[in-house]
Amino acid sequence: MDINKGPYSNHLKLWRKPAEENCTMDEFQDSDETAFVIEEITTIIKDTVEATIGSSAYIQNRINQWTSSVVETSLNQLSKLNKPFKYIVTCIILQKNGAGLHTASSCFWDSTMDGSCTVRWENKSMYCIVTVFGLAV
Amino acid sequence: MEEYNAGEEVSFNADEASVTVKECIEGIIGGLDYNQNKVNQWTASIVEHSLTQLVKQGKPFKFIVNCAIMQKSGAGLHTANSCYWDTATDGSCTVRWENRTMYCVVSVFAVAVTC
Repeated sequence: MDINKGPYSNHLKLWRKPAEENCTMDEFQDSDETAFVIEEITTIIKDTVEATIGSSAYIQNRINQWTSSVVETSLNQLSKLNKPFKYIVTCIILQKNGAGLHTASSCFWDSTMDGSCTVRWENKSMYCIVTVFGLAV
Repeated sequence: MEEYNAGEEVSFNADEASVTVKECIEGIIGGLDYNQNKVNQWTASIVEHSLTQLVKQGKPFKFIVNCAIMQKSGAGLHTANSCYWDTATDGSCTVRWENRTMYCVVSVFAVAVTC
């Protein structure tokens, strides 16, 4: 399949920025407001997880609420940043029981503008892994 | 003159993606038991293979494929996801698979590329 031909070749131009693009001072300053800033997002997620399950032990009846609450609150906070991004937030809560858990993810996107970050949190009875994917609009 | 109408919006077909992903999982861990040494390879293979198959369909989407493999040992596992996107064109699908010794959960998120 030749990706330079065919009906979607226009879309693929999105993912190839010309190397000789000039970057003026104005563009550079603006880029902070339109970039995926990992530290900022990590802080937001850590705070959300702490606030939702910070002091709790693994309770089977509450887990559904917790996972939903973590993703919804995180998403609310992220949308308040008012950046031109679409977000996907996933949350995994795993009881500490000796079981093995492996996760992997693979993304087909614009690597210059899109990004992801993963926050791992744990307490005595459970692990919580939250991943945020941000895709530029 | 392009055959493709540039103004047409395509939405994500979750069923088709589901079938693609199931076949990938079966192909990679189909008859196998949980093996700690191999799990890393398996998760990586599943996501890469699924992504390749999805991209081959030639649709104007960015994709994120997520895979979790967990040993069956009585532990509780809960996952949730929430998305802030254009509900008309973007979508996701989750495939849950299991055998005697492990669970495998693969999620695909597709975000339309706007031109």
